[in-house]
Amino acid sequence: MATTRRRRTLPVPRRRTSAALSAPGGGPTGGPTGGPTGGSAHRPSHGLAYLTGSQDASNALRVQGGRLLRTVAGRSRAMMSLLAALTLARVVASLITPVMLAVAIDAGQDGAGLPAALAGLAAVLTVAALADAGEDLVGSYCGSRMTAWLRHRLVGRVLALGVPGQRRFPTGDVLSRLTESAAAPATFPILLLSGTAAVLTTAGAVIALATIDWLLALTLAVGMAPAVVLLRVFVVKASEPFARYQRCQAAIATRMLDARLGVRTIRAGGTAAREVGRILAPLPDLHQAGLRTWAAQRQVSWRLSLLAPLLQILVLSIAGVRLATGDITTGQLVAASSYTAMALGSASLFDTLVALLNCQVGAGRVGEILGTAPAVVPPARPAPLPDGPGHLRLRDVTVRMGDRTVLDHLDLTVPAGTSVAVVGASGTGKSVLVSLAGRLLDPDAGRIELDGVPIDTLALPELRRTVAYAFERPALLGATLHDMIAYARPEATRAEVREAARVASADDFVRALPSGYDTAPADAPMSGGELQRLGLARAALSAARVVVLDDATSSLDTATELRVTQALQRVLTGRTCLVVAHRPATAARADLVAWLDGGRLRALAPHTRLWPDPDYRAIFTPAPTSTPRPGRG
Amino acid sequence: MRSSAGLRLLREHASGRSPAARRLAAWSALEAVPVFASGLLLATAIDQGFLPRKPLVGLAWLAVLAVLYALGALGTRQVYPSLAALVEPLRDSLITDVVTASLRRMIDDEPSGGAGVSQVTEQVEAVRALLATAIRNMRQLLSAGVAALLGLVLLSPLLALVITVFVLLGAAVFAAFLHIQIGRYRAVIRHAEDIGETAAAVVQGVRDVVVCAAEDRAAQAVAGAIDAQAEALRAFARSRLLRLPVLTLGVHVPLLALLAMSPWLIAHHHLTAGQAAGGVSYLITALQPAFVVLVDAGGTLLLSLAVVLGRLAEVCARPAGAPEAKVTIVPTSHDVAAEHVTFAYSPHAEPVFTDLSLRIAAGAHLAVVGPSGVGKSTLASLLTGHLEPQKGDIRLGGVRLARVGAERLRRTITLIPQEAYVFAATLRENLVYLRPQATTADLERAVDAVGLRETVDRLGGYDAEIPPGGGPLSQGERQLITLVRAHLSAAAVVILDEATCHLHPAAEARAERALAARGGTLIVIAHRISSAQRADQVLLIDGPRPMLGTHETLLRHSPLYAELVGHWRS
Repeated sequence: MATTRRRRTLPVPRRRTSAALSAPGGGPTGGPTGGPTGGSAHRPSHGLAYLTGSQDASNALRVQGGRLLRTVAGRSRAMMSLLAALTLARVVASLITPVMLAVAIDAGQDGAGLPAALAGLAAVLTVAALADAGEDLVGSYCGSRMTAWLRHRLVGRVLALGVPGQRRFPTGDVLSRLTESAAAPATFPILLLSGTAAVLTTAGAVIALATIDWLLALTLAVGMAPAVVLLRVFVVKASEPFARYQRCQAAIATRMLDARLGVRTIRAGGTAAREVGRILAPLPDLHQAGLRTWAAQRQVSWRLSLLAPLLQILVLSIAGVRLATGDITTGQLVAASSYTAMALGSASLFDTLVALLNCQVGAGRVGEILGTAPAVVPPARPAPLPDGPGHLRLRDVTVRMGDRTVLDHLDLTVPAGTSVAVVGASGTGKSVLVSLAGRLLDPDAGRIELDGVPIDTLALPELRRTVAYAFERPALLGATLHDMIAYARPEATRAEVREAARVASADDFVRALPSGYDTAPADAPMSGGELQRLGLARAALSAARVVVLDDATSSLDTATELRVTQALQRVLTGRTCLVVAHRPATAARADLVAWLDGGRLRALAPHTRLWPDPDYRAIFTPAPTSTPRPGRG
Repeated sequence: MRSSAGLRLLREHASGRSPAARRLAAWSALEAVPVFASGLLLATAIDQGFLPRKPLVGLAWLAVLAVLYALGALGTRQVYPSLAALVEPLRDSLITDVVTASLRRMIDDEPSGGAGVSQVTEQVEAVRALLATAIRNMRQLLSAGVAALLGLVLLSPLLALVITVFVLLGAAVFAAFLHIQIGRYRAVIRHAEDIGETAAAVVQGVRDVVVCAAEDRAAQAVAGAIDAQAEALRAFARSRLLRLPVLTLGVHVPLLALLAMSPWLIAHHHLTAGQAAGGVSYLITALQPAFVVLVDAGGTLLLSLAVVLGRLAEVCARPAGAPEAKVTIVPTSHDVAAEHVTFAYSPHAEPVFTDLSLRIAAGAHLAVVGPSGVGKSTLASLLTGHLEPQKGDIRLGGVRLARVGAERLRRTITLIPQEAYVFAATLRENLVYLRPQATTADLERAVDAVGLRETVDRLGGYDAEIPPGGGPLSQGERQLITLVRAHLSAAAVVILDEATCHLHPAAEARAERALAARGGTLIVIAHRISSAQRADQVLLIDGPRPMLGTHETLLRHSPLYAELVGHWRS
């Protein structure tokens, strides 16, 4: 079953290798759902790629995935055992069925013992059907539980990875792992067992065939070899057009995204019609690639639709000759036909294998996040935080990122109640420095104290109530703007929230929105400055001793910056403040400037004292023609 | 209701494909011939060849079957081109429609009907894949099932009747309870989407979650969606237990019935031993696989198709909006005027402008300043006709914007927004966006005037390909490209909505001067107060009643303006 791939997770209908009597694949034109003409063929999975090359890159991922799958499966050992028992029952019942069928057919000819034979056949059919239904149900329960467990852990870990995690796993990536990759293991129990069942069924069918007549088994075994070769050839040949098809598709999607970013331009220019043409420019290529994917499927499909029945006729011919010589009965001939179909059903094993690889890769992608260490480790026994004015001290702090030393044995004291602007050329670790105060990140060496207490001994929630942050672009969290402002203090009253918004100059524009404070954040058309003031309102609502402003006013226009600054001063009254500054005006308003250079503190002094230094002034001189802002804009 | 809209969409796009569909049906029929003949030929081979100990006769009949299978394989071979001819053009026309509709929705600020922009192409792809699978499966189901039943009729009409009754009974039970399965499957899809949506907000805002110490609350929000989806999956699995009675009725009972009836039929010479074997063969190799497909995949396959088509139908649905005024009036001048304009985003919201009147003469250079959030961009949207005031009018040359006609309005007033739109095409195509017929000489002049020369040289000329998303261009370079675009355009009124915010002040000054010198009206929604100093007139917005003046008069009369200027200089 192919469906949209991102965001949606559809339950995959099971591909079974044998349903009681015959196997998909044994039918006249190839299996309806199994085989390469079925579901997975027109949407080559990642697994397909692994079979055709590019193995090395993902081996580690698969190994990790395999480990995680074992852990997860181990958690539902009882269910897995039940599942295995059901599968075994189904396989055995399926394998016995043709024998019972043969007995019933033969009994039908001479009329003797027919009721008993029919009862026996009905019994095995019932057992097979019940086991089959049970497998489906237990497998779904087991799989849904595994996926939910993986997802819970994934979300928890992503939150624990915090800010450093965002650098490593971008949002889209995390979401695809959460919705798609974590869903793949849900099919794992059933796939694993149906794969095993396919092998067992094939082996059992060949053996059963041999017990009827060894020549039949031999014929089948010899005939199956070309079928296997054919499948391999298909996989290799087919992946190229599929890959090209997906590239063309991606090209259209990318152009569409471009157009979304430029929607105001398109609207103003009245150029929508031309844009459609531009977005769809890769369509002819897509069409061609599409035709080639059909051609590739056609090649294997017609060959397979010839090969499988011919093999069956071959077995039937031999069985017919043995019937003529009186070595087997009519019933056994029918049974032989049925066993041949079962054995040919193992073609679907290939699909199962690909799907299992997908499971491993999916689990591996989840495992990659689960295996990443959290940003900070909470203290085992938190120390109490005494009352204090918000005196912040960084002692001999070193932070490394990769092989780069961002902060190098840095000492900084922020006196209680003062504001300190952190300045420095881009890449000198300003953001890293301020993220240390709230333990968004732990230093590799050194310690940070708040009112004399090392912050890593404090309970994390308490620390984060004490150190508040306001960002340039606060996230749109919560169901309403009220919730968004009160995100750190969900118990705050409407009056408190409104007062905080008023302090941050946000009250006016919030009330101008369609539903005021009850507007959903996603529905509020807010400019950068407005959004930023909501973030400030959140900080104003908190009772934090220390407020950290990261990149607070860099992209604002002059007029808005003035507004925000005024709001800021009201929010900060009486609190310690660390602010990352990009403009001289921001630095000038702070009591002290912490000047970072080469990972160290070059100076800690008022702005006016530093301003005569040309090196200091150079920090604020923008690039010659433009100010590229990687990661923003 | 949604699925019927989806069906309509499918029918719309499938029209004109009937020749391909007919070919598909014809080749499918050929494909079904060996299935139809298989049981009959097997029965004959046993009865006339193997049982009477004439193996060569039996083998000859089987050889006939082999030849028929070869013919059937030819049918399979020919089915694919027809399938491609059916599915590929359908995808082409569907994607064209969907892209057009999505773009229109983006432009009209309409929600895209539950599907993100990036998703619509994927959903079109899903339609293609699902449709192809559905056609192939259903085709097989029909051809194999019907062929097998027909073969059974020829073997023994009585048997065929009994078997058909049970098969129909099974199908009826399946159909009767299908809506439960469909409902639960739909719930699975809906809950899966919920997970994505709730998680997106939390993952994107992880920094905010962490600093608010709200990890538990955030995780809880997603956990609710995760558990709901798991339960939906289980409910769907429970509804699949229906397979048990359906398969029993449709597959197992017919087989047992055939075997139970065969002694009596054989005794009364209605059936031979070989025919009984042939009948069993029909059931096992043709009817059963077809029935299993119907039960296992039929429902979910068609449902997935219906769900995706329903989404796309929502995207493609045209809103019943007011039709464009047919009679348009040609404005006699390019003066832009706002007359007693009152505008609010909703009836409950406080108005952004109250009774705003303003006249911008053709050729003027106006700067609009004020804190963000007071309605500078709203003013731009009003002046371009994208938003309509609740009270009062915006007029171009004395004509209400609605009567000017969308096409003429777009040609006359150009807006360059803050977010620079640079797309995958050559640099030239990007530059001549608003005036496709511009010559290279025109280009050169505009590039030199605005200050893009360095970039053009760096990229290696006008034929350089810009990759999707703008690639290596800096934000400032992107804005310069859009400014050259504006310089080249024939529009009489150019509005820059903070279109220079990523430029260095000197670059900004050069671009603004170039645009002012090009003739026509220039309205600059200012990012920096320095833009105001260059303009003839300044509109200061700080509240619903803006103030119009020059830099000097505003400095004297508006404390806010003075503060802004002072702040910038500090």
